[in-house]
Amino acid sequence: MTKPATDMISAPVWDAFVRCFHWSLVTLFVISVASGKVGGEWIVWHMRSGYAILALVVFRLIWGFVGGEYARYTSFLTGPIRGFKFAKGLLGKTHQHVIGHNPVGGWMVVVLLLLLAAQAGLGLFSNDEIATTGPLARYVSDETSITLMSRHRIIGDLLLILVGVHIAAVLFHVFVKKEGIVRAMFTGMKSLPPALANEALAARKASLPLGFVVLSLAIAAVVIAVNWPALFKP
Amino acid sequence: MKNLTKIAIAAAAIAVASSALAQPKPENFVKHRKAAFTLMGWYFGPMGAVAKGEKPFNKDEATKATALVATMAKLPFDSFVAGTEAVGGTDALPAVWSNNAKFKELAAKLATETETLAKLASAGDEAGFKKQFGVVGGTCKACHDDFKKK
Repeated sequence: MTKPATDMISAPVWDAFVRCFHWSLVTLFVISVASGKVGGEWIVWHMRSGYAILALVVFRLIWGFVGGEYARYTSFLTGPIRGFKFAKGLLGKTHQHVIGHNPVGGWMVVVLLLLLAAQAGLGLFSNDEIATTGPLARYVSDETSITLMSRHRIIGDLLLILVGVHIAAVLFHVFVKKEGIVRAMFTGMKSLPPALANEALAARKASLPLGFVVLSLAIAAVVIAVNWPALFKP
Repeated sequence: MKNLTKIAIAAAAIAVASSALAQPKPENFVKHRKAAFTLMGWYFGPMGAVAKGEKPFNKDEATKATALVATMAKLPFDSFVAGTEAVGGTDALPAVWSNNAKFKELAAKLATETETLAKLASAGDEAGFKKQFGVVGGTCKACHDDFKKK
């Protein structure tokens, strides 16, 4: 942030699917955590919310290959050297604007996605030793199911910590670096220096039909997985 | 009269001795409470599908199962006796003994809530049963959270 804001140009960065994915996930994450902590009759919502998260994350993992330019892994996954350089610059004065996810944020995206996928996947096989088992728990032994439940709890705690770090980083960008990245995740538009803004304007756009196809496939995959016992009675 | 006193003392001595003999070994207390929990889960777990609306409510089945759950709920907690802390193969956390007051409070709550569940089931109150099933599940969880190895 060395240049005055008047030099900045607003350009589209986050495609509609990335934005919808993000805020749906936020909502479902809150529902999942709360319903999991409360338990009891809320466990039904914990399960439903988990299935929805699984579908969203499967979608996003595929979208990382075929989405808009800044949704793609190729745009935000970088090597550790670039990442550390960026982090160093972030804390000093050499911080540079990036169009999409910055190198460190990009890693966080992938870590969060993989952990969320693991978390939701584990839930399918878990047994809470009260009255709830995941829809696929019958395919593993009780012992395994209970072990997977333990992992589900550990990853749940880990996710809470990482989401805390994620939010802290966002607040740092918003309040210290004065970057409107929360607003950008709603509108898709980011204020960028002219060169970057031109690059973003010319970048590959997301295909809406493809997005709906991928989303439908992800939902279908999860619906089939969750209903596997009913569909394919042993 | 003297003889009667002697007999009474002897009888008391035998009673004390035999009760000491009847005292189960620590590992048997663990067996007892695990068996009670297993049976409680056996009757409680399958009703989860009814509570979640995946299976229809059947008054007779629910009445039988909830009565057994309410009975089972009273059994395991007497077996968390002193001296069983060190027995292996159990998920009981040390907090059972170090925070025994809360543990007992939750055990008492389970007894009350399972009684309520049994009453609702035998009254054929489906909506009440479903709601209370969640309350009982939450009671199980509250105790598991603090006192059961995860």
